[in-house]
Amino acid sequence: MSEASHPREDHHTVALMGNPNTGKSSLFSALTGTRQKVANFPGVTVDAKIGTARFENSEVTVIDLPGTYSLAARSPDERVATDALLGRIKGTPKPDGVIIVLDASSLDRNAYIATQVLEFGLPAVVALSMVDVAEDRGIKVDVDKLSEALGVPVVPVNAPNGTGIKELKETLHRSLHHPGKLLELEYPEDFRRGVDTLYDYLCDLSVQLGYKPARPEALRLLVDGAGPFFEECEEVGGAEFTGKFFEIRERAAAGRSLSMVEAQTRYGAIGRWMQEVKQAETREGRTKTDRIDAVLTHKVWGSLVFVVLMALIFQSIYAWSGPFMDLIDEGFGSLGDWVGGMMSDGALKSLVTDGVIGGVGGVIIFLPQILILFLFIAILEDLGYMARAAFLMDKVMSRFGLSGRSFIPLLSGFACAIPAIMGARVVEDRNTRLTTMFLAPFMSCTARLPVYVLFIAAFVPEQTYLGFIELQGLVLLAMYCVGALVAIPTALVLKKGILKSKVTPFLLELPSYKRPRVKAVARTLFEKGGSFVKRAGTIILAVTILVWAAGYFPQSDDIDAKYDSQIEAAEAGYNEAITAFDPESEEDSLIAEFKAIDDAHTDRLAEFEETVEDEDTLETEILASDKQRMAEMKALAIKSDKHFDAMNNYTAWVRLEETRSEIENDRAGAHLENSYLGRVGKFIEPAVEPLGWDWRIGMAAIASFPAREVIVATLGTIFNLGEEEDEESEDLRTIVRNAERPDGSKLFSLATALSIMVFFALCAQCAATLAVMRREMNSWKWPIASFVYMTGLAYVCALITYQVASALGA
Amino acid sequence: MPSYTLDKLPIGATATIVDVQGDAQLQQRILEMGVLPGIQVEVVRFAPLGDPIEIKVMGYNLSLRKAEAMHVSVETPA
Repeated sequence: MSEASHPREDHHTVALMGNPNTGKSSLFSALTGTRQKVANFPGVTVDAKIGTARFENSEVTVIDLPGTYSLAARSPDERVATDALLGRIKGTPKPDGVIIVLDASSLDRNAYIATQVLEFGLPAVVALSMVDVAEDRGIKVDVDKLSEALGVPVVPVNAPNGTGIKELKETLHRSLHHPGKLLELEYPEDFRRGVDTLYDYLCDLSVQLGYKPARPEALRLLVDGAGPFFEECEEVGGAEFTGKFFEIRERAAAGRSLSMVEAQTRYGAIGRWMQEVKQAETREGRTKTDRIDAVLTHKVWGSLVFVVLMALIFQSIYAWSGPFMDLIDEGFGSLGDWVGGMMSDGALKSLVTDGVIGGVGGVIIFLPQILILFLFIAILEDLGYMARAAFLMDKVMSRFGLSGRSFIPLLSGFACAIPAIMGARVVEDRNTRLTTMFLAPFMSCTARLPVYVLFIAAFVPEQTYLGFIELQGLVLLAMYCVGALVAIPTALVLKKGILKSKVTPFLLELPSYKRPRVKAVARTLFEKGGSFVKRAGTIILAVTILVWAAGYFPQSDDIDAKYDSQIEAAEAGYNEAITAFDPESEEDSLIAEFKAIDDAHTDRLAEFEETVEDEDTLETEILASDKQRMAEMKALAIKSDKHFDAMNNYTAWVRLEETRSEIENDRAGAHLENSYLGRVGKFIEPAVEPLGWDWRIGMAAIASFPAREVIVATLGTIFNLGEEEDEESEDLRTIVRNAERPDGSKLFSLATALSIMVFFALCAQCAATLAVMRREMNSWKWPIASFVYMTGLAYVCALITYQVASALGA
Repeated sequence: MPSYTLDKLPIGATATIVDVQGDAQLQQRILEMGVLPGIQVEVVRFAPLGDPIEIKVMGYNLSLRKAEAMHVSVETPA
């Protein structure tokens, strides 16, 4: 009957198990130090960490399994713990032993999973954590009696300050060299017989299953009567299995609920043990956690703290990440310029500067937002506040089929979907977590803002209602609402349909408050940042390079020849116009002085743009500055002997420079039009026409697949302005306002602008989001579904917007 | 002894659980968390929006929705 495993002599593997909030992760860190990596389990959205613990003269691999309250498997994610214990996960070694972490301050409930794990008969050691918290509450745990009751050694540990770790390792080492002891509980006779019969039957099925099931699996199958293991058996055993299973089950239940029998047997045994093990002084008065909760979950104060905290989190991701992002943007920009300066023009230079450096920059740029969100999540989770936040928000979120835990990820989606999707891991229920991740990209993130700003400023009239409500602001607000409004029915459809789970119980432990540990927070940040860069970064980079190539190739010599000859013509014209000396040589100090006067004028203009609000004043100031420039130049010219020649030459030179840059911009535009991207744009033109778009907008939309904000730069290039334009640029606004179709009619109208904005509010034009989704959901199915759904929805909504708006005359 | 379902108890009330019903998965989850017949519960508070509720059971604090608490029958000492 005993099938306790005999460990191998050489290298051992142990699994670390226990409830959530028991200090399991910090114990794992204390055991393995920095020698850990994330193990990805195929097909499920959980992953465990694997680390190596060093003993005096040997090493032990430790698998940190996700914290659970029970081994009952309702979803593939929950099945992981059992599969890992039995060594059925590909690429993960079978454990030779188990460390079960039990929280001394709520020992009864913690012991529940211990009774399940110990039935597997693996060598086991119990690590008793939170002894100090228990003592604060007047609970004393008798370690020897607990060890006697469970039949395995018990070692009190305090992972954050390192006490007990050495003893735990020694005890574990000793245990691994003995066969494990099987815990045998006194189940009612019908139940026990049911498990035996089912176990025998499962053993008969082992050839079809491909492995020999363990007896505790028979117990689980009997009680759960559903879940991944049941489906597997059903598949290999067919109707015969199902018939036999339910017959055995009915007999075992003998009219009672099997879950009830299991729970009462386990908790019954625990209750009897605890009379010996635990001495609890009945302390009247409230614990520290109760006192904190009286404020933090209070109707008024609790809500207030929550709102302030959420505002702080949102503000910090939204605004405080800005300077860091600008710094990264500028850094990669200058790196590109610097590297580009050392290379000769051509495909390689463009690949390195626009493709690779631009792509890597496009990955790193997300780090500030990710790190800031996880700084908050890690601190709040460590503190124990995350559970309270879920408690406060659950009622609102449950209306949409979500859970209270979905709130923070979705809120951060308004800053950026990437950290939001990564943060959705705090949602425990699998289907709710998938729904949360699916919804995150609908929240209007900061990358959409440039698109809104450009088109609102260009096409929405500056009107004010009631003295303070601005029409432009209203449209911006509407754009922010579009995504959220669409998300609600999407959530309901998902939760009622595809991701339907019979119940999404919200049974949430409200753990006692703990001081956040700097080390743990730092580790979370490091892991999240690293995993994003490593796993999502490669996909983002690949997509960026792909889109770069589509926009760069094929390079047409004809186009180059055409623009080269234009430049030559301009230079010839200039050479004819100039006399006396060559301003480009800059030998003449006069040129430098002319240039200085010009630059001063340019600086003044830039300053006016920033400081002067009123349009009329701005005009006056600009005229005054120009007058000043002319006067200064004249004075300079008179002072010099070659005066008017110099001035003429200078003006001709300035004109040449302007012409050159115009031609270069035209050239870039022509290349883009001729590129594969441009051809795709033309190809899809019939499809985007009903949205009021032409091929240029269609192409810009495709080009912005790596990231939405790219559309602004692409429009800059295609309208021959150069790619340095940003959404605040007056030139770009004027250009889009005046852009024409081949027949001379205006390309953009208010209706077109609205249709583009609605499209960008809803589309999945963000490779990084899809990459992170794939990484978190561990399958391409979801990101593809998300892309198809969002793009389809964006198309339909943009279509409706354009048709309705143009019918209304916009 | 008057009997209620857990969601009907006022804040501060203590009661003994007599039965846990509900759909198989929900019932199992509730039982596993230590909410089972014979155990004492105390209603600690309601969330500011009235739902979920927070209870103290087996020495720890657990939050559950009213729709879930509805399946837990309790008895209060008369």
